Parts: sequence; C-alpha cells; structure tokens
Amino acid sequence: MPRLRILFAVAALAGLAACGKKAPQEDAAKVAARAASMMPGDVRLAGLYRSSCQNCHAHRDSGAPPVGYHYAWDPRWQQGLPTLLAHTIGGFQGMPAGGQCFSCRPDDYRALIRFMAGQPADAS
Amino acid sequence: MMSRRGLVVGGGVAALAAGGVAGGELELQQSRDRDPPALPESDAHGHLLWRNWAGIQTAYPAARAAPSSEDELASVLKSAVPPVRVVGAGHSFTALIPTPGTMVTLDAMQGVTAHDAAKLQATVRTGSRLGALGPDLAGIGQEMLTLPDINKQSLGGALGTGTHGTGQTLTAIHGAVQSFRIVTAAGDVIEASRGKNPDIFDAARVGLGAFGVITEVTLQNRALTRMRKRVYAVSTQDALDQWPALKAQHRNAEIYILPFTGMAAIITGDASQDPVVPRGPDTDTDLVMNLKALRDWCAYFPALRRVLGHRAIMAVPPSEAVDDGWKLLSNERPVRFIEMEYHLPEETQARAALEVLTAVETNRPDVFFPFELRSIAPDDAWLSPFYQRASGSIAVHAYYMNDYQFLFDIVEPILRRHGGRPHWGKLNSLRARDFASLYPRWKDAMALRQSLDPQGKFLNAYLRGVFFDA
Repeated sequence: MPRLRILFAVAALAGLAACGKKAPQEDAAKVAARAASMMPGDVRLAGLYRSSCQNCHAHRDSGAPPVGYHYAWDPRWQQGLPTLLAHTIGGFQGMPAGGQCFSCRPDDYRALIRFMAGQPADAS
Repeated sequence: MMSRRGLVVGGGVAALAAGGVAGGELELQQSRDRDPPALPESDAHGHLLWRNWAGIQTAYPAARAAPSSEDELASVLKSAVPPVRVVGAGHSFTALIPTPGTMVTLDAMQGVTAHDAAKLQATVRTGSRLGALGPDLAGIGQEMLTLPDINKQSLGGALGTGTHGTGQTLTAIHGAVQSFRIVTAAGDVIEASRGKNPDIFDAARVGLGAFGVITEVTLQNRALTRMRKRVYAVSTQDALDQWPALKAQHRNAEIYILPFTGMAAIITGDASQDPVVPRGPDTDTDLVMNLKALRDWCAYFPALRRVLGHRAIMAVPPSEAVDDGWKLLSNERPVRFIEMEYHLPEETQARAALEVLTAVETNRPDVFFPFELRSIAPDDAWLSPFYQRASGSIAVHAYYMNDYQFLFDIVEPILRRHGGRPHWGKLNSLRARDFASLYPRWKDAMALRQSLDPQGKFLNAYLRGVFFDA
C-alpha cells in the first residue's frame, strides 16, 4: 500500500511536470498577435510600455502574462493592485524588479498593470 | 534546447516510481528554493527601489533621469548628484548600477537614426533594446553580426560590458562598432572612431559606463541572412571532443552541458537557402525545469539522477529551425538565474569546463542549470575580455532561488587558474590589481578614464573597487 501511495505521488508530480501551467483558453498565436497589437492610449505611457513591458508581455515564450489576456490576468488581478504593484517593483518569480522600466513611477506602474490586465484606467 | 516531453517519456517517471522515491527528498530540495528577500518599495526618503533582473543587486537612487536627447543628457550630467550610473535592462549580475545618487535610463533614446545601405551600417541610439533592434534593422535589410543568448539588454549595456554571442570568427558585439558619440561628465560631446579620438574609441568601447555615456553608435551589420539552427544531444565527452571541429565548421556553435546527466546539447547555426521553418514554442524552459524536478526527486539518489537524466535526454530528437538569423540567435529566458562567466584562452576552455563540471557534481548536487560554452574572436578594445585573444567562454548558472556562493568558492578558482577574464556584467570577485594583470592596456585605460571623469562622477562603490581596489 505505501508503495502504491508513492506511485500516485510521483504520478501526480509527473503530471505537474508535464503540464506546468494550465491549458490556454485561446490559441497561443492569437493571444500573441493580440498582445503585439495593443498599446496604451496615453503617449507617455505608450513610450514607457514600448521600452519595457512590451519586451516580455507581448512576446510568446517569455513566460509573462500576455497583454489583454484575461485568462492569465484575471487570477492575478484578484490578488489586488497593491500586491501586483509590489511584485512589479520588487520582482516576483519570473517578473524582474521594476519590470525593466527604470523611469516608471508607482502611478505609471499602476496604469501599465491596469492596461495589461485589461482593466479600465483609474478614474481618480 | 530540448523538450521536457522527452524527459518524461524517456522513462523518468516510471523509473522514479520503481525506485520508490519518497516525498521527503522533494521537500528537502524545494525547501532550499527561496525567493530573493522582499525589500521595501521605497526607502525612508521615499526613493523607489531598483533591483537588477536576477534580484541580487539593489539601490534606492535619490534621483532618476530619462533624457530624450543628447543635450538633455548633457544637462543632466552637469548637475546630477553622483554617482551617476546609466542603467539599461538591469541584466548585469555585478554591482555596476547600484547608486545612492542618480540613475539615468536611455529608454527615451532608442531606434535607428541613419543607415548606409551600401556599407550595411546603421547608426543606432544606445537605449535601444536588442530585441526591438532586430525588427528595426530588418526593416532596412540589415541584422547584427552577432547576438547574445538573451536579447532583452539595451545596446549600451551590452556594449559597455563586452556582451557577446558565439562563433569562432565573430567578435563580441562591440567588435562591430565603427564609431560612437560619448557625453562626458562635464557634458561635452565627443565623437570617436579609429580615425578620430582613437584612444577614446579603444578605451571606452567596452567602458562599464565609467568613461561617459555613449549615446549613439554606428554598427557594421550584415544583410539579412537566413540561417539554419540545429539542436541535438550527445554525451558531454563527445561534445567536448567535437568542440574544435564544431567551431571550425559552423558560423555559430555552442555547447550546453547538462550537469548530473552526462549529456550536453549542441547548438549550431549556418547560412541556409532552405524554406523558412520558424522556431517552435520555447522548450528550453521545460528542459530546465525538468532538470530541476530531477534534482528535487533524486536528492538522495545521485546515481539514479544521472541514469534518468541521461536516458531522458538521449531520447530527445534533434530539432531544427530555418529563419532570419536575428530571429534564431537569441532566446527568451523566463526562468531567472544568477551567472558567472569567464572568458578563457581558447585552448584551455574544454579542460576547464570538465574541471568545473567535476567540481560542481562532486560538491553541489543542488545545481541543475546547464553550463554554457561559447567561442569569441579577438578584438582590440582595451577593456574587452577578448582583447587580442581568441576566447572560449564558460558560463555557470544558479537558479535565482538558490544559493550561489559556490560560483565564487568552487567555480571561479578553476576559471582563474586557466587564465580567464571575467565577463564585466557577470559575477566575479576580481579587483583592480587582478584586472591590471589581465589587461595589457589597463593603465592606459585608467589614465584616459581619469582624464574624462576627474571627479569620478560615474564611479559607484563597486567601480571604485574595480578601478582602485577601494
């Protein structure tokens, strides 16, 4: 019986290894194409986005959640903007600190996170 | 490199189950995986945190600047609170950037400003990220002669640290620089090339951001060239035995040694006229995380780890892609790591690599990241690690969540004993006296740096150690 338990444990781990992440809800090429086509409306924000976030969040295989892809962003958004901001500034897992935008201010980060997560801009 | 499917299909799971691997080993290894410590988002003065890509260098700069023109940059430099450090993408592992003074980004100074179609040259602003530069240059029918493994870096950062790709006939990126414009600490703009201010050209081409701020370079490129990239697995010993021939036969060649498996991946690149076969989805990340899983599962069974890893990697079929070179030479690297890389005399590279492999496999079973071996042609920049020397590089990585002290304790002594010069952006413990013995034009470079920046405005604490043993 213990042997069987070990077998199941290993099989479960193997399953994790084989999948790694949940199956995407949309075709990866479509997701990537949409991400590549999106740009913040604000000119200054667009400049910051182009020189930093876009390098990963609009590229397949970067591991970053693609711009505008709700399937990837919604669970993150549920953690709350303060948490996402903290992860952005300090770095978290694959996300490098500062998002490689070293002229961004906290308000810029908030606006860029909202844009990439497909959330409306802060009205305040 | 290769897919994780191979690792699973290759018998890893079944053999692990048969071996009765318990969950305890997994917990043991995973407990050693720790995120870099969380730091306050801002300091007591309200200055925002800066941290490098790997998460091991930090700072709270008092001021940040993002000039959009050379004039604006010159104005910033005249009045900036020192030390002034120019950050690119933050991909350096050494403490080149941390400053309590002023951090400058050239993110607002990007793009191709001019090009010469006949000479296949382009003038590029140094805030450009290499990844973005690919399509920009392709738009004028050009591509860079070489590219590094990762293309997130800024052009200025890549040049300033001697960043390189691989190919026995290919210099590092700075070898393609024909001329540049540099803004000094006093705000003066100097043009430099082989014919104009040649000493500045030779000293500051690989300048660690310590001579001034290079704003624009003219690069010798080549016409867009289709290449075939091939990846396949062999035993580590075979890979090292074949290395001289691989370097001679292929425009681009590199080896990834996969520790604790006895195996290596060989990657080659050559010009091709064949129809385009785009690269598929990234599989390197899967392979790396499978090597991690193997480490976690086999903590107490090193022999099993080797057998499973060897079998799984042997089962992975070769892969090929055919496309424009700039699309194939660099890769996404979503798993963060910490790296040491030294550039050795070409003839010692394979021997040193085996020594490093043996030392790591003997002492550090927690390591799983591949080691990377590349080849770089000599050049004549005074502070280039490839100065007048055909070089073979050895890069050793640690997972960003793991201890990396072994790089200094185990790896670095071997690489130094074989005459290595460290990559300027990658971990090393060398100081001024060490560099002085490795670089024939060190004194000349230091004198020139002193003349361009007599107040040391560009020197942070780390660079004072590099230049003065401070």
